[in-house]
Amino acid sequence: MHAITYNIPVSLIAGFRGRKMIVRADDPTEIVENVTDEDLAGISFVKLLSLNGKIDSLMGWGTAIPVELVVSDTCRDLPLLYRYAPLLADHPVRVAVPLAPGFGKVVRLAISLNFAVKLEGGQPDAPLLDEMQRIASFYLHQATVSEPIEFFHSLFLAFYHREPITLWTIQEEDPSLVRYITDTGEETMPGRLAGMEVPGDFSTFLQDIRKGPAGEGGECAGCEFLGHCRGYFKWPLRAYRCDGVKALLRTLRSAAEELRTDIASFHAPGGGGRE
Amino acid sequence: MSGSHFSIILLPTLGCNADCEYCFENKTDHHLTLDHLAVLIEKVMDFLERKHIHRLSLYWQGGEVMTLPPEWFEQAHIIICQSAEARKIAVVHYIQSNLIGYSGKWNRILLEMFGNSVGSSMDFPNLHRKLKGGVPADYETLWIEKVREARAAGIKVSVIAIPNDKTLQMGAERFYSYFVDELGITEFQVNTPFPGGSSNQVKDGYPLDAERLGRFLLDLARVWLDRGFDRGVQVGPFDRLMEYFVHGRKNLLCIWQDNCANDFVCIDPQGYVSQCDCWAASYPGFRFGNIFGGDSLFDILGNSEARRQLAERPGVLIQREDCIECRYLGICHGGCPIRAYTMQGDLHRKDPYCPVYLALFEGVELLRSTRAGKLRNT
Repeated sequence: MHAITYNIPVSLIAGFRGRKMIVRADDPTEIVENVTDEDLAGISFVKLLSLNGKIDSLMGWGTAIPVELVVSDTCRDLPLLYRYAPLLADHPVRVAVPLAPGFGKVVRLAISLNFAVKLEGGQPDAPLLDEMQRIASFYLHQATVSEPIEFFHSLFLAFYHREPITLWTIQEEDPSLVRYITDTGEETMPGRLAGMEVPGDFSTFLQDIRKGPAGEGGECAGCEFLGHCRGYFKWPLRAYRCDGVKALLRTLRSAAEELRTDIASFHAPGGGGRE
Repeated sequence: MSGSHFSIILLPTLGCNADCEYCFENKTDHHLTLDHLAVLIEKVMDFLERKHIHRLSLYWQGGEVMTLPPEWFEQAHIIICQSAEARKIAVVHYIQSNLIGYSGKWNRILLEMFGNSVGSSMDFPNLHRKLKGGVPADYETLWIEKVREARAAGIKVSVIAIPNDKTLQMGAERFYSYFVDELGITEFQVNTPFPGGSSNQVKDGYPLDAERLGRFLLDLARVWLDRGFDRGVQVGPFDRLMEYFVHGRKNLLCIWQDNCANDFVCIDPQGYVSQCDCWAASYPGFRFGNIFGGDSLFDILGNSEARRQLAERPGVLIQREDCIECRYLGICHGGCPIRAYTMQGDLHRKDPYCPVYLALFEGVELLRSTRAGKLRNT
């Protein structure tokens, strides 16, 4: 059984010591002032909710603790990413990018700075889906991309290894694994589900939606990606049509299958592979 | 331990024994005293400690560093070692010299302080490097003599070369042969010229024609791959680009770092802090402050308007220029600010050699693929 990770405001850290934590704050200084050396072992990563803080305090602090930079406005925050490049000397850095107009530019710049990327948001419209296809192609085929772009990366690996991981887990939104603690200390569902009415309880959420919303017929019933998706794109609006998303997932799956075939042929007799 | 690192380009003198026509520095008689060096180093160490940085590279340049006596460097080395040891900061020294002032007296300090290695400069053909009142041919003859003397003493000499119009006419094969076959240089780098400092007829000819320069550089990359790569000859920037395209390592020239303002500063003999040697002696308006004043280096860098403009440049470029769409954004970031400023009068424009860099990146990436294909088939 996996331990639950709590996404907490740094002000509440004293109440969560001894548990796995994602610690969030607007300013890096708040993190450095409130997190003790003993806390570091329990921290999965630090989440900076604003890109306007002073990063100097994080240099030399908590070496190797991953840092996530949360982009909230793709246009305004784009040039600010450059300020965080020096952090890589001490920390792995990931940029959480909302699926909003202009997100593709943020992804390209983040990757150029050697930051990992996590795309956030679940019901992209047609122009965003077009951009997601372009970014998927960028991730899959541009040799200069050396950092993961989630959820593409983990889903690609899941297709490649034929593993049953779900998008909820990849996106750190599986409530059996991650809980969100509000600024007032209330425990809620993580990610997009925070504050929503959802069926069942935290620990059985994924099983419940497979039986429930995703199993009620409609578009999810018989969907080729149900095992990996589990209705991920049906939140918050169940009427959302997944044609564009399915095309995107097919792109990732085809690339994974192509790679698997290439590697198999390389290792086949006469294929050039070595023992 | 922190992985952080910082570099300082230290100009202990702005005096020079040469009179090169394209030099971007306005020369003066100022040189750094050892007393001032001690103050400077303590302030640098304070800065590194405050920034949790444990490794420092010191690039000694001028002016011409060998117009100072080797004994000065011996004392300087002691001062820096004592300070670095007390602060537990690792310091590595590099020296860039025209070698005109080199003699056997330098051998000990070159070995002890600089790992028996020195960077120098020469062009082919040499049109613009000369001694005061002299001609390029005499300078070249003297330089070759000094290089041979240094190499005979076991010192490794690497070279920076600036191409000129005649270089492009003569072609890459001849250029490569001059350095590698005739002079036995196994490490050299080609930099692009820019019209820094006071203007003259030579600088008015910059930038060089992008198409011809791009073609020359790619030809040179091919010659290097055919003739030098497997023999361990290093030719920049191709060697580092090849390393990036093969291994993904970004050990690139300063002009292609994501933000040079994050990685180094330059300090001149009067203590003025600026971005690099290209700015130091000719653009007082871009000085960040003076390290011999009351402020710490941390405060100088944190409060300087000139540095703020430089630090913001890559972020401005991705909004103003087309860099964000470029396949090679991750290894260029809009190129060099001094080249943009001196050729376009605007810091917040991309480097005017962009078409040259693009051709070079595409060409080297293609050469990597072609070479990988050849290796697979052998």
